[in-house]
Amino acid sequence: MQLFPRWTNNFPGIFLIGIFLLLFSLSSFIWYYGSPYYTDVGYAPTQPVPYSHKLHAGDMGIDCRYCHVGVEQSYSAVIPPTETCMGCHTYVKTDSEKLKLVRESWETGKPIEWIKVHMLPEYAYFNHSVHVNSGVACISCHGNIAEMEVVYQVKPLSMDWCLDCHRSDTPEIRPKNEVTNMYWTPPADYDNFVSSWVEQHGDERPVGDCQKCHR
Amino acid sequence: MMNNKIKSKAEIRAEKLLPGNQDFTTLTDDIAGVPEQKKTPIQWWLLFGLALSLLAIFAGSVGFLIWEGTGIWGINNPVFWGWAIINFVWWVGIGHAGTLISAILHLFRQNWRNAINRFAETMTLFAVICALVFPGIHVGRIWVAYWFLPIPNQMGMWPNMRSPLIWDFFAVFTYFTVSLLFWYTGLIPDLATLRDRAKTNLKRKIYGFFALGWRGGNRQWQHYELAYLVLAGISTPLVLSVHSVVSSDFATSVIPGWHTTIFPPYFVAGAIYSGFGMVMTLSIIARKVYNLGHIITLEHLDKMAQIMLLTGCMVGYAYSMEFFVAWYSGNAYESFAFVNRALGPYWWGYWAMIFCNVVVPQFFWFERYRRHIPFLFITSILVNIGMWFERFVIVVITLHRDFMPGAWAMYNPTIFDVSIYIGTFGLFFTGFLLFLRFLPMVSIAEAKLVLPESNPHHGHEE
Amino acid sequence: MNTYGVIARFNDPVELVHAAEKIRDAGFTDFDCHSPFPIHGMDDAMGLKRSKLGYVIGAMGLTGALFGFGLQTWIHSIEYPMNISGKPFFAYPAYAIITFELMVLFSAFGAVFGMMYFNSIPRFHHPVFYSDKFSRVTSDAFYVSIEISDPKYNEQEVKSFLDKIGGTDIEVLKDEN
Repeated sequence: MQLFPRWTNNFPGIFLIGIFLLLFSLSSFIWYYGSPYYTDVGYAPTQPVPYSHKLHAGDMGIDCRYCHVGVEQSYSAVIPPTETCMGCHTYVKTDSEKLKLVRESWETGKPIEWIKVHMLPEYAYFNHSVHVNSGVACISCHGNIAEMEVVYQVKPLSMDWCLDCHRSDTPEIRPKNEVTNMYWTPPADYDNFVSSWVEQHGDERPVGDCQKCHR
Repeated sequence: MMNNKIKSKAEIRAEKLLPGNQDFTTLTDDIAGVPEQKKTPIQWWLLFGLALSLLAIFAGSVGFLIWEGTGIWGINNPVFWGWAIINFVWWVGIGHAGTLISAILHLFRQNWRNAINRFAETMTLFAVICALVFPGIHVGRIWVAYWFLPIPNQMGMWPNMRSPLIWDFFAVFTYFTVSLLFWYTGLIPDLATLRDRAKTNLKRKIYGFFALGWRGGNRQWQHYELAYLVLAGISTPLVLSVHSVVSSDFATSVIPGWHTTIFPPYFVAGAIYSGFGMVMTLSIIARKVYNLGHIITLEHLDKMAQIMLLTGCMVGYAYSMEFFVAWYSGNAYESFAFVNRALGPYWWGYWAMIFCNVVVPQFFWFERYRRHIPFLFITSILVNIGMWFERFVIVVITLHRDFMPGAWAMYNPTIFDVSIYIGTFGLFFTGFLLFLRFLPMVSIAEAKLVLPESNPHHGHEE
Repeated sequence: MNTYGVIARFNDPVELVHAAEKIRDAGFTDFDCHSPFPIHGMDDAMGLKRSKLGYVIGAMGLTGALFGFGLQTWIHSIEYPMNISGKPFFAYPAYAIITFELMVLFSAFGAVFGMMYFNSIPRFHHPVFYSDKFSRVTSDAFYVSIEISDPKYNEQEVKSFLDKIGGTDIEVLKDEN
């Protein structure tokens, strides 16, 4: 008894093409939409105070370390307290509507609830001072903050992304005094700089040990 | 004497394995008759209902486990591995008989396997599925279980291929896939039989789809037989490798009681032992419910009992060698670990194991007991209880006495340890009962090979 | 409406083997013998060459082993040399297991899918299925089919030939669409 029409003899071909297309599209879908490049990059929460990095760090040229004081000494770069803001704003724009929350915080002593943009999981240990003191620039991980009206996440901050830099042949470093410079370009003898730096300090980038970051 | 003709060897053999006057037609009718039954037997419905309710318990417990985490289990410090690994090893062990019967006995041309191989292969499949549940859920965060697989990911991280736990994953995964292919390849001609005998159009189409358009031509059989033979050939080292690899989960650690080279052969023997126990239990039930006493005969049960006797003695030997080596090594920790097994707070687990695995099968030296169906049934269940206790002894009794007496603790399973274990029976029996209902439980094509007239040269023998 | 060929039924495996020998000796090449189970000695009776499937399986097994070993070497020596308990990065003895498992896995794929390829299955529609009596071939019937593609094919002659060598239920199969 003939159960199936003639065209069903094409089933193996249809099946193979179908399986291939299904797997291909499924993995492409997960690859794209599941990756931190899609889920995390571009995260730009609205902060309680409409603070503009472009105005302060870019146009007026305030150094990163004026507010993020911990970056050279500790694992945390430090979100500046209200006092840092009021250091200037006691004199400048004292009655600006935008600064209402800052003045309130100054009077009540309750800190402003800034929203954290660059989040690392708790099981990953990251130390700002180690990176900055080795000559890793702010821009390498945070992007060009000096041109951001609202700060957003530029890099995926995934483990693979960390390792890309940790495992690359040439560490992404620069002279220490240029770390906060957003417009630094490598000089002609950059390669010499890197190799002499590595010679002097040794390449201590942790690569093969889980417990360097997952303590 | 009615029949004065001298019987050929093949005829004598066939009479033992397929008693009564059978030919190709009656064999097909008998075996294919089971999935073709109009009315499902009431026993089937009762068992299926029971299996489904156990499956519901399983789904609920695993759901709660995923929600809550592995803290709902009784694992503690120092017993980090509890029922999950016990049950995993137990189910994988049971899953060994299928491929052993199908592959190794096929290579040795043991025709008696033909009545039970399908059965055993199916049991293997569902047992391995039950086993694979445990490594899946024991990670707690089940949504990252894909970390087992070497696939590129956002962490740039790969599994540690030097770790026995990853070997284990590869071994069990390969074993499952190869068993599935082996099972399905064996089913193709039988599905074609069911397709050609089916009464309704829907059944014809479904069986016809899975039969892949099998026509039974010798140009097909030629490649088919070679493929089947090669699958049997490669499954033989595979089945021996799987439990060896499972044993290296333990043996490569430096825990006294685990760190021994006897583990791989001892685990493989135990796996075959428990697998045959399970095949015995299931085939006794099935031949009773479906009146297949003339296809799964006493001869088959006898042969399985002999294999159980052999493997039972092998594990018994391993148990005693462990003690000998512990004493002979002069290692105080090793000696303590074994004395603690037999005389420590969990002495009952150890002696339950010895009784079920070593003492009980000694009755199989006598043909009377090898052919006594109620005795076989009880023994086959006892063997699997014993094999469960063996894993309990290895995992819990070894861990609960750590190197440091300060860390010593007892292990108490919680209700969720029990319910997930009981629940896997639901998973197993749901699948197995569906198989019994819709697929031939004995290979129709291969059962015919036992008949002497299937061999065109049988007249020329002797 | 194309003719596909002629089928004829034989009583048991012995007759089928003898029929196959006669058909082979008569010089036919495009014929097949259908049976519910593989018949011992049929390949010789039909004059079939050894199956080439073994080479496919061997090649697949070798691919699997090389892939397994290569994957582990690449992961631990090139892609992510990770220091675990001071074990060497290229710890080849530890790679044996997964190499073996993948070799088995790939050969199993080679065996099953290679078998399907050589048998041209899945093939759901086939002219032999037009015959209702032929459906017993998966239970207890033994059939010979001679296809029209055979150079010696001549409908009348083939029918009388099959009749002469003991075939019954001789049918001419026609493709109905």
